[in-house]
Amino acid sequence: MNDRIALIGLSLLLAACGARDRNDGADAQVRSLGTVEVTARLVEVPEGAVFHRDLYDYATILKYEVVAVHRGAVAAGATIFVGHYDPWKPRAEAADKRVQGIGGTVRRFRAGDLHRMALETPMDDVFMGGIVDKYFGKREGPAYWAVWTNEAN
Amino acid sequence: MKSRTGRWVAALLAGACAASADTNGVEALRAEVKGRGWIAFAARTEAGDLDLFVCRPDGSAKRNLTRTPEWNEGLPRFSPDGGRLLFRRIPRKETFDNNHHGAQGVLLLARSDGSDAKPLGAAGEFPWGTWSPDGRQILCLAPKGFSIVQLDTLATVRSFPRKGFFQQPAWSPDGGVIVGVANSFGESWSVARMDLASGESAAISTTDSCTPDWFPGGTDAIYSWRRPGQKGYGWTQLWRTAGAGTPPQLVYAEEGRHVYGGHVSPDAKYVLFTGNGVEDGDPANGGSPMGLMRLADAPVIGGESPAFRSLHPKAGRGPVLALPSGWEPCWTFSEAPGKP
Repeated sequence: MNDRIALIGLSLLLAACGARDRNDGADAQVRSLGTVEVTARLVEVPEGAVFHRDLYDYATILKYEVVAVHRGAVAAGATIFVGHYDPWKPRAEAADKRVQGIGGTVRRFRAGDLHRMALETPMDDVFMGGIVDKYFGKREGPAYWAVWTNEAN
Repeated sequence: MKSRTGRWVAALLAGACAASADTNGVEALRAEVKGRGWIAFAARTEAGDLDLFVCRPDGSAKRNLTRTPEWNEGLPRFSPDGGRLLFRRIPRKETFDNNHHGAQGVLLLARSDGSDAKPLGAAGEFPWGTWSPDGRQILCLAPKGFSIVQLDTLATVRSFPRKGFFQQPAWSPDGGVIVGVANSFGESWSVARMDLASGESAAISTTDSCTPDWFPGGTDAIYSWRRPGQKGYGWTQLWRTAGAGTPPQLVYAEEGRHVYGGHVSPDAKYVLFTGNGVEDGDPANGGSPMGLMRLADAPVIGGESPAFRSLHPKAGRGPVLALPSGWEPCWTFSEAPGKP
């Protein structure tokens, strides 16, 4: 009897651990901000795209593959280009007096990571500042502006 | 009583001493520009705030125009006739961000002696407001695009897409072209021009270029460029160009100073600039002396600057006047700013 109870307890514990590891990245902000909401995989972080600058605030364009579309007219599987403000900062610390209303749980950008993002487009309607675009001349269409960027897996 | 010969010898010796004291022609340049109007700039006061000042182009007769210890003022721009002054004002507790200051705080219009200053709108309104060639309109730049505003009514008379332009626009003296800092022309920011009639735009200097302004004739632009290939972060230099297809020309560079804020005199013979040891103008601190040089002497390389001299072996050494510490200098030949 005691063995059965221990087995059930162990199963529940393992299930709880598994549930804690699964993270769809959803929260109130990502589900409501912007006009587009996707879960997408960061394809790469090009050299020189993300760097710490004390004196400048800039946005950088990063390349994503869309895994799931939650809101908006984006095709699953599409490649999109997303602008992140001051990408060397954790998203929760990226907003400042100049750019407000952005955030999220992503602490750093790593190739292969999955992000659930609330996006706005076109980026130029939202952000007016310096942009580092390592895909200049290699991409088509407008870039999206990352309003909220959460970790997902 | 001295003999005639003795007086001649004394005069020659005095002349020789004066010449040796001005081996690089600085005093001659100082005398040359002293009576040519006024320079306006932002500078830190003894109380620690930023006020607007004017001085003669040789640095003399410096006078505080604003005297507002509860505010910081910056980005002064004389109207084309020199009679009025546009500038921005922010609360003292805020710091100007030299990549955003054109959109910070309130845009004010005053007489060019600083009197009768009136806000044109609320904080953040008329971002990057800059003079039209006739002084009757201002050009503004916001995320939604450029707009042209009639100064007497503050009505927007035209709006058009900004096409990646994002800061420091300047309207050409002939009224046909905008120059500014823009994305859309490379991996990072460029200095670009936009034709006002067609909306067509093109870069005139790509990669880490900024603070553009026009020569009075409206064909050439002056701008700052942190030229690639320098050791480490590098130093920002002052360049000029007539645009696409025309090779850019170095105006001033100095290892140890980031040269920004180039502003050409109304007769196109001289140029003003700032030269801070700290990148981005170091607006939170005291600033560094502004510089003034003849454009006919360009290219000039200041200091020892061995790496720059190896790239520009024919560059001269000056003369360059060291003016009071300040930011964003502009120049008018009008005498109006000197009348308190």
